[in-house]
Order: sequence, then structure tokens, then C-alpha cells
Amino acid sequence: MSAQAKDQDAAVGGTAWLELDQITERLGLGVDRVMGEAGLWAPELAARALRQAHGDPPEAAQLLRAHRTALPRLAIGEPVSTTELKVVRRISSAFRNPPGGQVLGRTLDYVGRLLDLMPEDEGKARNAGSPHAEDTRPHAHDHAHDHRHRDPDHAVPEEAVRTPAHVLATFRDMGLVAPPRGDGDPEPFDITRRPARPGAPRSAWLQTMARADTGSLLYLWYGSDWRPAGHEVPGELRHGILPLRVRHPHTGRPVTVAETRVSEVQTFHSLPRAGELPTSLDVGYGLCFGHNERKAISMAGLDLLLAHHEGATDLQHDVLLTLDGPDSTGYTQHLKLPHHVEYRSVLERAHAAARGTRLTERDTA
Amino acid sequence: MPDTLTRERRCELLAAAGHEEIVTLAERLLADGVPRPTVVQAPEVGMVVLQVREPVEETRFYLGEVLVTECSVELDGVPGWCMRSGDDRIAALAGALLDAVAAAGLPALTDIDALCAAVAERQAAEEAAEWADIQATTVAFEELT
Repeated sequence: MSAQAKDQDAAVGGTAWLELDQITERLGLGVDRVMGEAGLWAPELAARALRQAHGDPPEAAQLLRAHRTALPRLAIGEPVSTTELKVVRRISSAFRNPPGGQVLGRTLDYVGRLLDLMPEDEGKARNAGSPHAEDTRPHAHDHAHDHRHRDPDHAVPEEAVRTPAHVLATFRDMGLVAPPRGDGDPEPFDITRRPARPGAPRSAWLQTMARADTGSLLYLWYGSDWRPAGHEVPGELRHGILPLRVRHPHTGRPVTVAETRVSEVQTFHSLPRAGELPTSLDVGYGLCFGHNERKAISMAGLDLLLAHHEGATDLQHDVLLTLDGPDSTGYTQHLKLPHHVEYRSVLERAHAAARGTRLTERDTA
Repeated sequence: MPDTLTRERRCELLAAAGHEEIVTLAERLLADGVPRPTVVQAPEVGMVVLQVREPVEETRFYLGEVLVTECSVELDGVPGWCMRSGDDRIAALAGALLDAVAAAGLPALTDIDALCAAVAERQAAEEAAEWADIQATTVAFEELT
């Protein structure tokens, strides 16, 4: 190209520089999505990526994923169970009042879905006067959610628990969900080290979905032909804090070196099976970085089908090979590069075929 | 907070300390005569895999990776180590120095544990405030009959 492409930053205009803490606090859900799809928990880098990508999450995820490839892997953390998740939100649509409580937390779910047309000056004034304007405590999960559900007169039910037992445990106590199969404790498959193909173990598809493009995952689950009659019920949805632990190199004992936030879903359904009456519930599992409930619900729905639906081989192919954001967006990006030679080849083949058809028609006439 | 911290707990609190407080303390100890450490492994920014044991089949999988910085030093033959989240090489170096000073049982251990106590207290206060905030959103559904 003789002329350099115009730098998009030059077209942004003269507004103030967007600070990283503004992005992490006020566009937190976007930052979370970028980290999840990049497969790297790094809030400040994700905020940088989102700023550089002009707010385009797939492009930002691509930037962060590419950066990740230049970083060394220092260790594999100790296995951490999500039973120790410190919840900041936890709901169950299976039980009215599950043990541990229905904790709505910070969410946009119960906010009226009407565009806020409050005058800008009024919005700024309200923000400046809010009790949180002067609050500099670091909140690991501030999303600038504008509805905090805080009600001073609200009596807090005593059963709310910071690390509640999974609803799954209740279903197991009731005999409705089978215990773990106990197939040993295999080493996890690592899709970042070798490509996963159909037939790969469950750990491969869970890792694949955890860093999948949110929209692609949602589409595959929502639009799947494999969905059974009826729909599954998210028995539990959590958003909370999960520690990262490594072994201290000199004592060999575990040390918590960082904390992440994750969204977790367990979904339940009784999938139809030929010749069997539905006497128990099947479970699907979803877990991803950050606050991304749409992604965790979709992941759990697909895990349910992959693990329990008879004949889901084609679905496994789609899960393992079509959900990666940098893969699919990279493909569309490459289509914008010059394809003159390839296109001329297509034209020449079409012309040759047309000539061949005309000659055949003349010979048979 | 117990009188004596385990080495692991001290490492956790140093990993959770802010950049300013941990670097300031390390610089002050060096100025006060703590021997200069030998850097065994220069501060390195990298990733640690977050390995999760899921509750359905209780098998493990890799959720993703976490950005961390790691550093190792030696102080008169005593090793010190630090790993903390993010990409902050200076804080990781300071943390490794403080870990070594504490492991060597130097008098400055008191200052280090005072910092750790302050971090622990702050963490507990923040967590309590956060939980109080969240707990207020607990609801109990009733059935209409």
C-alpha cells in the first residue's frame, strides 16, 4: 500500500483521555468480557485493550490474547474448588429460598429497560453527590451498576451465606442427581498446548467454552438443534471471588497470590433417553472469568447436552472448533486483505467453465 | 491476627499489599542497613493457570490464566520469594526482599509483620463492608396462595 492507513486515534477528537480506572469501573462488564474471551485475567491490560480497540470487545480480546502469547507460563495453580467461591451475587431459579439465600447483588436484571434520558448535567451532579463518589475503597467488582438494591429498611434474612453450599448438593441429598462418576482424577486437557478435536475429554470443552466468544456461545446454545424438549433450569447462578494459589517454592505449602472474579452456573434438566423414564436430573456446568452470566448460562446448557445427550458428536465438533473469538474474527479480518489473485482465479475458472459449457452445447447440437 | 504469621500467610498479605506501602517499607529497610539482596530470579511478568475442580463430576479443568509478577532473591543465604497479581516488577522485588528478611528473622521482621497486620485489617474491613452491602440485597420469595 502506498499510503499508510489513517490512524483511528486521530479521528477520535479532542475529548479527554480515557483513564484506565474509568474503564475498569464504569465499563466493567466490557472489561470482564474481554478477559474471559482472551483467557487471561488482567483487568488493567484488558482496559487498555478495550480503549485501544475503541470499545470493540472482540478486537480487544484479540489484542489481549495476542499479548498473552508473549508471556511465559510461570506455574499451574493448585486446584481450587468453587465451593470456596465468595459470592457477590447468588440466585437460584430452582428453589424459592435455597439454603444460603437468594442474594441479588449488583445486577442490571431488575432495572427498567428504558433508555436513561436524564440530562447530562443532572447525571453528573447525582454521581458527584452519591455516597460512593468519595468512596475510594477498591471494589473488585465495581461495574458502575446504577441500581444497588440497597434498602436500609430491608430486613436481612439471616440465612445469607458468603460461601453457600451448591444447590447441586441439595439435589444430591434429595437423590435427584447422581453422585460424581468417580472416573479418577485425570490431568486436564490444555487447549493452549494442543488442539482439541471431537473425542477430547470434558476438560477440553469446558476450557474451550470458558474462553469462547460470548455471542457465538450464546448462538450455539440457543439455536442448537440438539436442545431437548422443554428447557433446562439454572439451579444456581453465582458471581463471586475465587482465589489463585500456588505452592511456595521454599515451603511447598499453598499461598494465595491473586484473586479473580468468576460467573458460575449449574443448570438442570431431565434429558429424554430412549426406553428410560426420567427419574433423575442431568447437570450442565458453566464457569467463566468476570461477570458474564449470559456466557455461563450458555456454557452450562451446552455442557449439559455434550455430557448427557445421546449422539452429540456434531455438537462437540462445533463447540471445539467454531467458538473461539480470535479464530472467527481473524477469519473475517483476513477477508479484508487483498485477494486479487484468488479472485482472478475464481473468475478464470468461471470463464473456463462457461466456455466448456458452450463447446459442449455446440458439439451436441 | 495471630502473634506469629506463617510464612505462607505473610506472603499472601505481602501479595495483597499496595505498591506504595510495600515498596516504601523495602526502601526504608535497605536505608536502615538491611543487607542488599542477591536477585536470584529477576522480576518476571508471566501467567499462572487457574485450575478449577468443578462440582458436577469433581474433575479438574483449566479456566484460564492470571497475570502475575514473580521474583526470587537471597539474603545472606536465606531465600525470599514473591508472586503477586498484575505486572508490577518493583513491588514483586520488594515483596521478595521482605519475605527473605522475615525468613532470616532479622529485627525488621516487626516492621514487616506490622505492615501485614495493617493489610489484613484493611482486607477484613473491606470484606465486611462489601458483604454488608451485598447482604442487604438478599430477598426471600413468598408464594401467593
